[in-house]
Amino acid sequence: MSGVGVGWALARERLRGLSAALILLLSAGAAFVIGVLERRSDARSAPDDILSGTVFGIALPLLAYLVSERACDGKRLERSVDGVARYGTNRRAALLGVLLASALYTALAGALLTIAALLGAHAWHSSSLSADLRASVGIALITGVVYALYFGAASLLGKRGTGRKWALIIDFVLGAGSSALAAPWPRAHVRNLLGGEPVVALSQASAWLALGAIGVVCVTLSVLRTTE
Amino acid sequence: MSELRFQALSHAELTQVSASFRAGNHVLIGSERDGTGTLIALAAGTLEPAKGQVLLDGVAPWSNARARQRIASFCAEESLLPARDVAGAVALALHARGDARSALSVLDSAGLAHFATQRVAALAGREARAIALCIALSHREPTLLALHEPLSVVGIIQEDFVLQTLASFGKAGAIVLSSANRLEDAARLGGTESALERGLWFASAQARPALASITLRIHTPEPRRLAARLSEAPDVSGVEWAGGQELLVHGSELERLAHSVVANARAEAIRITALKQDSPPLEALAAARAGLAQAYYERTRSMGNAVRQP
Repeated sequence: MSGVGVGWALARERLRGLSAALILLLSAGAAFVIGVLERRSDARSAPDDILSGTVFGIALPLLAYLVSERACDGKRLERSVDGVARYGTNRRAALLGVLLASALYTALAGALLTIAALLGAHAWHSSSLSADLRASVGIALITGVVYALYFGAASLLGKRGTGRKWALIIDFVLGAGSSALAAPWPRAHVRNLLGGEPVVALSQASAWLALGAIGVVCVTLSVLRTTE
Repeated sequence: MSELRFQALSHAELTQVSASFRAGNHVLIGSERDGTGTLIALAAGTLEPAKGQVLLDGVAPWSNARARQRIASFCAEESLLPARDVAGAVALALHARGDARSALSVLDSAGLAHFATQRVAALAGREARAIALCIALSHREPTLLALHEPLSVVGIIQEDFVLQTLASFGKAGAIVLSSANRLEDAARLGGTESALERGLWFASAQARPALASITLRIHTPEPRRLAARLSEAPDVSGVEWAGGQELLVHGSELERLAHSVVANARAEAIRITALKQDSPPLEALAAARAGLAQAYYERTRSMGNAVRQP
């Protein structure tokens, strides 16, 4: 098994458990119920409101934070792989495995939340449901991956990876704007992809690129700041 | 030939430790408070030295994955890797080491196969440490074995298995560095002895005398209460009460032991009517302390000379 595989297995073991599945199911259930309530309030804007507000605005960043916290065992990212590094696994490779696992879990959780929310917000026989699902699930997948990498890189800061908490707060506060200050944070570009206000007049195609760039920078920083 | 070298190493309790170890068995005498746990963790590459260097064949294990792969370690604080059961945790450790053997065969070789299906969270602290020692001793070709108190889990693992495995690794050309808090354990582990005393490293010639066991005979009207209190005191290694008003209190250092006895008695408002030292005789103790003081003096002087020389 390669170092990445060992890191993957380590994170998978940490993420496994009844509580994680329960939180995900409860979140999906809550997203569905809020979607139904939004539809009853205003059927036309319900899908946009539930996605930009509940799912991508609150639930997905919080889930990504919790997944990162658990995958890192509440430690700094590079310290979270010390358990396997002592046996000779390269810390950088193991760290990539941990990031990969948390990215996959967060992306799948994001997709599940999005599906649940849209099923609630759309009428069952709505013609736009399938198109909305296709587009939104794609955004959920990349958003989940980027948030996981973002929180992973933030875990390099602070004594026990407290950078994660600060990253969550900063993303909430600065990412909500549309000025250049919002450009480095995932929230601003996700909002653009969902049809919201763009950041410094970036197009939606550029928002995909920006999210990709944030992900690449986070992975690179994580690897470079870690000792072999 | 392989070499483990500590160069002017200072980290937590450790102060300017400079030493080197070659193939064979070595015992480091001292308690965790003296820095043995820290030194073993640094040798294993699980801690980054705050100051100085740890080198295994010229490479720092902390920052070199290949070097760490050649190390079998058993540290003061051990927790198994996360897994559904013990076999899963051992399997993940073996994967991390690039070892293709099954977890069950490794556990079986140490006589621990009955733990395989047990949940990791259900293990007691000593049991988890025994599994960790089993993983360390299962290494096929280690260059270094860095082990903190390997005999502390005897009872769960057979003592013969531990001693024979360490001896065979030593003969095969590995550096076997074990720490031992008790002199009896050090004697059983065998090999060259050195010591850590409050973070200072002493070579084999200086290690033995200062660390001999000391016994104090204490007379008190409340021996039971005092014994209960002293049994939890960190400087006291053992308390004997054979009835009557006399207690025998064992420890490794006279001043600390006497201070601990007086402080604990005072804290419980227990009167001590007599306090005297039992064997070894005062002359032997004085000689031991003088030996330690001499070693400390020579060490300080040599460090001073090294600083003065251009």
